[in-house]
Amino acid sequence: MKRYNIFIVGVGGQGLLTLGRIFGNAAIEAGHNVTVAEVHGLAQRGGTLNVQVRIGPGEAPTIPHGATDLFIALEALEAIRYSSYIGEHTRVVVNKFIWPPPLSKYPDLEQISLKLREKGVKPYFVDANEISRKASGTVISANIAILGFSYAVDEGLRNLLEYRHLEKSLQKVFSGKVFEINKVIRRLGYEEGRKAREKTD
Amino acid sequence: MGNEAIARGAIEAGICFASAYPGTPSTEIVEALADVAGKVGIHVEWSTNEKVAFEAAYASAIAGVKSLTAMKHVGVNVAADILMSSAYSGVNAGFVLVSADDPGQHSSQNEQDNRWYGLLAHIPVVEPSSPLDAYKLIKEAFKLSEKYMHPVIFRSTTRISHTRQSIELELDPFVERKCVGEFERNIERWVLVPAHGRKQKQRMMSIWRQIREEEGSPPFITVINPGMKKAIVASGIAYAYVDEVLDTINKKNEYTVVKVNLSVPLPLKPIKEVIEEAEKLVVVEELDPVVEMQIRSLAQEHGIAVRVHGKDLVPVNGELSLEIVYEVLARFEGREIAKPWKSIGRIKTNPEVPPRPPVMCAGCPHRSTFYILKVSANKAGLKNPIFTGDIGCYTLGYQKPFETQMTSFEMGGGVGIAYGLSKVVKEPVIGIVGDSTFYHACIPQSINIIYNMGKALVVVLDNYYTAMTGHQPHPGSGMLATGEKAPRIPAERILEAIGFKTYVINPMNIEESIEKVTNAYIEFKKGKPVAIVSRLKCALQVLRYARRSGIVLPAYGIEENKCTACMACINLLACPAIVVPSSSKKPEILEDICVGCGLCAYVCPFDAIVLKREGSPGWIKAWL
Ligand SMILES: Cc1ncc(C[n+]2csc(CCOP(=O)(O)OP(=O)(O)O)c2C)c(N)n1
Repeated sequence: MKRYNIFIVGVGGQGLLTLGRIFGNAAIEAGHNVTVAEVHGLAQRGGTLNVQVRIGPGEAPTIPHGATDLFIALEALEAIRYSSYIGEHTRVVVNKFIWPPPLSKYPDLEQISLKLREKGVKPYFVDANEISRKASGTVISANIAILGFSYAVDEGLRNLLEYRHLEKSLQKVFSGKVFEINKVIRRLGYEEGRKAREKTD
Repeated sequence: MGNEAIARGAIEAGICFASAYPGTPSTEIVEALADVAGKVGIHVEWSTNEKVAFEAAYASAIAGVKSLTAMKHVGVNVAADILMSSAYSGVNAGFVLVSADDPGQHSSQNEQDNRWYGLLAHIPVVEPSSPLDAYKLIKEAFKLSEKYMHPVIFRSTTRISHTRQSIELELDPFVERKCVGEFERNIERWVLVPAHGRKQKQRMMSIWRQIREEEGSPPFITVINPGMKKAIVASGIAYAYVDEVLDTINKKNEYTVVKVNLSVPLPLKPIKEVIEEAEKLVVVEELDPVVEMQIRSLAQEHGIAVRVHGKDLVPVNGELSLEIVYEVLARFEGREIAKPWKSIGRIKTNPEVPPRPPVMCAGCPHRSTFYILKVSANKAGLKNPIFTGDIGCYTLGYQKPFETQMTSFEMGGGVGIAYGLSKVVKEPVIGIVGDSTFYHACIPQSINIIYNMGKALVVVLDNYYTAMTGHQPHPGSGMLATGEKAPRIPAERILEAIGFKTYVINPMNIEESIEKVTNAYIEFKKGKPVAIVSRLKCALQVLRYARRSGIVLPAYGIEENKCTACMACINLLACPAIVVPSSSKKPEILEDICVGCGLCAYVCPFDAIVLKREGSPGWIKAWL
């Protein structure tokens, strides 16, 4: 079996490590081998960050350029920074959120979308921050919102993991009230994703 | 996570003592051990620095209590003195040093290959190929150490330590362990005067030869598909890449692959057999040609005419990847192999995506302190100060607009370099170091300033934690690795005892701090030894604590009608919570990110920055 590659990008502090961990636990729940490559330390201080999840047999932890199956950007500028990891068949999900570094000039969401399309990518955009804020009052669970959304729009992921595997995994990472809120947020993200998928179908 | 796997394996191996100093990518080993220390009944500590950690664990092992010490690659430099001696005297129980190297420099000042330490010190180096391997091999490393009663280096790398993998556990953690040691009174063995040292070296060399002769079978050396004309020797994590690439291009049956997990000293027998059969061979390893050199020398010694490739094809810089190994094989074969992956390539936008280096967090007390240190220098007429620096979150002060970290070499240098410069330059020199850094290696340097009458001012940034590596406690925190209460050793008491007049500030009280620091500078200008301790909790910890205990922190906002877009807040502070949206010319504060430190409200010349969200009563206590 070929390994299924999830490349997650964003800014340190956005919950990328947690997201990677949830995918990892869910894969284990589903009985797959999995590796999750994280980066710690300096990179977590508001810098650019990536987490690489590889599901299936094999132990090499990092994903080759272009070999990504599912590409998730929690911040839109980072989607462009890591675009070389996207291949022709990659499913791309981008948070409608730009967090510019201080005093910088940067492209807007429209241009980002356009440039991806020019390369033949059909990106999905989702306002994961808004979904999180609606349900919890803060943007802290945007990672969970985008998880639900990605699950809805990406068939490859659905073939590998069942909804209950994700649920079990969430339960491992969160507990009590936080778990309940995140369950709701993931559901909201999923609904958004389903709508988006139907629109493109 | 690989580090957790190492911790779990060490517990199963029966350690009863673990000591470390935090450093990426090694930190989570002792963190994981500390989490269960009480449950499984072992001693786990954050030591003051790596030398101290090594000595503590080594002492445990000479007294017969199995022990582990862990550090990042550069930490081994700090412990190198005792490391060398430990190989001469050996141990009376399993003793493993975990060295976590950082190829690619994800979070380090260099990417030194610590396998050299094995060759230098005559200590075997075990190198896992995956987190799963790490879990199994750490136990083998302890067995190896006990078999020869010799220290063992277990060399991990970022991609092993920080990769998670599904692992099936083999043993119960509640194995029998020896926790009470006895000191063997053996002066010839432990007192390395020259006469004893010479004898010990003979013992050490005979162990070294024995390991080379006898440890050539799995799990240390595994020969897969022997007898081929083409061979690949893959050391440590390189094996994971080689295996997957061969699988992807369906060529596993064409090569003999040697999986090397004991890279130093490279066991002779199996390697000799492979190079006698093969016509050509390529050594795939990350960083330096440690295995390659040993194979070349073996081939030369035995007059074996195999063609050896290695660093002529494999880069010495950075990490390996599937793509790199792919290209290595193509060049080794001397022909193109079609790549199975196709990238859409790098996308160019206009304007381009700006670089995003790490920054100090919103509300980081270091930002306030740097601001205060600079403003006060103007007030006190301290001209062109040189700010030497060190390693920690505060190193980010090297960036504009602060530039209050003008050097950063290694831990301790913040004060040591300040002292040396103060002896030879005319400008005032201010050494700025973190709290954990201060305890780690800045105390001898501070003493040296007083003793040799240097003219450097010392600033300790006390945020209660070793923030950079994930908020481990240290001797100033009042807490142990396990979370239990500990005696607190405030930096100002040490500095006062050495002979510095020490000023303690709270950088959230900006006005008061500027006044104190200005006074300190004036004293300093008069030639008095002066130090400053700036004390306020790390904003990340404050935020975490507030979230957990339901405390709302205040947040600020910008009143658009008062804001003149002068950009003072941005230009002076570079806070990630203050952004200029592409639709506007005026800055805006991201309420979700702001933690209400109030520094921007202080610097705004037009009083346009005002409280937008009230904090809950007593929120300030979260910071102290
Ligand atoms: C010899 C050595 N050991 C460990 C490290 C890893 N490391 C980087 S910064 C740091 C300490 C930072 O703590 P502190 O001085 O309290 O500053 P803060 O990050 O809290 O600002 C450590 C341990 C290192 N770079 N070098």
